[in-house]
Amino acid sequence: MTGAAAQDLLALRALLEERFPDASPITRRAATQLATGIAQLDQALPSGGLPRGRLSVWAPHGGATAILRAACQGILAVGERAAWIDSVGTVAGAFWDDGPLLVRPSSRLNALRSAEELLRSGGFALVVLAGAEPKGQETVRLTRATRDGGSALVALTTHAAMSALKLTSRIQPADYRYTRTPFGDPAEITHARVRVDAVALGWQAHAAFVLPVTHHELRLSLEPELADRRGVSR
Amino acid sequence: MSYVCLWSPSWPTGAAFPAELITDLLQHVPRVRLGAGGRVWADARGLDAGALALTLVDVAHRHGYSNAHAGAATTAIAAELAATQRRIPFTIVKPGHDRDFMAPFPIDVLDPSTLLDHLLDGIGVETCGALAALDAASIEILMGAEGVRLWKLARADDPRLLFASPARALPSASVDWVDYALRDAERLLFVVNAQAATVCDALAAGGHRAREVSLAFALADRTEFVHRIRSARPTASQKAWMRLIRTALDRITLPDAVTGVTLCVESAIGNDGVQGDLFDKGFASAPQVERAVSQLMDDQGDVVLTPRNSAHPLVDARTEWTREDPAVAATSGERGVAKAQSGARPTPRLTLQLVSPPRPVSVRTAERRDHQVPVQYRDGQTSYAIVDAAGPERVSGGQWEQGGPYAREYFRCVREDGTLVWLYRDAVGSGGGSQLAVGGSQLAVSPPTVLPSYRPTGWYLHGWWD
Repeated sequence: MTGAAAQDLLALRALLEERFPDASPITRRAATQLATGIAQLDQALPSGGLPRGRLSVWAPHGGATAILRAACQGILAVGERAAWIDSVGTVAGAFWDDGPLLVRPSSRLNALRSAEELLRSGGFALVVLAGAEPKGQETVRLTRATRDGGSALVALTTHAAMSALKLTSRIQPADYRYTRTPFGDPAEITHARVRVDAVALGWQAHAAFVLPVTHHELRLSLEPELADRRGVSR
Repeated sequence: MSYVCLWSPSWPTGAAFPAELITDLLQHVPRVRLGAGGRVWADARGLDAGALALTLVDVAHRHGYSNAHAGAATTAIAAELAATQRRIPFTIVKPGHDRDFMAPFPIDVLDPSTLLDHLLDGIGVETCGALAALDAASIEILMGAEGVRLWKLARADDPRLLFASPARALPSASVDWVDYALRDAERLLFVVNAQAATVCDALAAGGHRAREVSLAFALADRTEFVHRIRSARPTASQKAWMRLIRTALDRITLPDAVTGVTLCVESAIGNDGVQGDLFDKGFASAPQVERAVSQLMDDQGDVVLTPRNSAHPLVDARTEWTREDPAVAATSGERGVAKAQSGARPTPRLTLQLVSPPRPVSVRTAERRDHQVPVQYRDGQTSYAIVDAAGPERVSGGQWEQGGPYAREYFRCVREDGTLVWLYRDAVGSGGGSQLAVGGSQLAVSPPTVLPSYRPTGWYLHGWWD
């Protein structure tokens, strides 16, 4: 390619990025990033985090909630804000860490409205939309609001249309680590190894790391290694 | 100059104080107050304090109190001493010189307690100036709280607030018509819109924001219907209030035609700005966040929530959700920084997500030594094999609580797709759960043993870890 042609190509690329900012791949590093706080994941993601002003899609389960909640806390720690839209009411109050704005709308449509309102305010670095899947024009609206507000929007859904970054995390049954009772039965599940796959236009990466498991404080047995057997049929 | 103090050693004090003197004084100054010991205080803010002091002395002389003295100063204590301790008709203390003015006066003018008076005598402190020259730490150690109070007074640091901010009438707008009665909602809205413009303009002019307004409808049957509207965020915006009023008018039903409307502000707050840190990343966007959260609450009700947890043994009964204040929501970044500075590091961890309410599932169990563990469950049309199960963990109680007793056996089960789910067997409920076994293997039902009133009924999916 001649020098003039290369210059023309660069100019065309710059023009396209200016006219169609959502169409340019995030690997071009046009978007600023939002670190998740997990070093292995941030190293794998393009630009070192979730892209601001873009829609990212994360398939539910497999540790997605844990990672995004930690990302919310990390964002708060640097003085910015994060919001979590829990449209199906799965957040357990007993395990919710204070800080991110928690919105619990009554319906899917209200969840999408909430997301748009918060994104357009421009005051949130990260908005997580859990349990409500945007479809068709709804996705277009949310994408525009995300770009206007400059936030990173992460939707916990499998519908990946218009997303700049697609993430999938999974835990295999063999990835769990247990402590066992003296009889060899599982007593506590302590850790799980999570593998995250990230895919963007013309790019993909993987990361793997270990997450601890939060317990639910139900155990009534005095010995933590022993299962509570009171009242069991004999 | 802030205060003028007028005092005469000969005028009566307390209830016998001549009321007509106060009436005459009020013709020259808008705010007058009778204080302890017969001190008459005038609010000189915005006025020429020297001229005012002279005028007030003249008025007192006209009422026969020829020995009246006036003092004008920035602080109340300096004005009081100028009026009561000087033997000339009026004294004006130059702004910024209150402490110097007080310095030569003996400590007794500050009315110390006998104990403190003796203590000050003992260390040779005789004048206000000598006391003011001491350092705060020595005073606090030697003389305690009363000593510090006296020391502050000696330095012309007087915390008295003699004239509080006056309560202002809140704006309102009223329209009545007599030749017809209104039944058309659109025309009613048109009228209210004009009233809202008047009220919001008045609020903005006074530097206020309304928190709550009331709409009072005069009805054709000569009754009145009052409806109050509260905004999640105090505002003087006509647009915001009209949105709320429109929503309210859609919901209410008026019993008769309308012959008049009054829009009245019920409570308002000042329009003071909040001081902030330029290096705080979230400060610049705080008003937008507050507005967005308020808008969400106005549109959808209390959807921005914060949990308040108890120590209830059941996770699903442990939390009470309370409404988050929009102003507090806007400061989440500041709180996050404070939390980080205290050493708390965000650590990702798999956390329990709840299925609310718990969903009945069909479970197949297998015997493991002396108890049954789930090995497969069906949720709707999908069947999941369980690779490993930890448990049971039993929780029971509530015999004397509202809602009745509960007894559950919880299992943490790893599904074949890698999801860690939380299943429980309800051992006390009266049906509702599915007791069907999958695949015809062992049924999750066993005869009641320990507590005869408990009978195993069904299995539920209560959550998963994510």
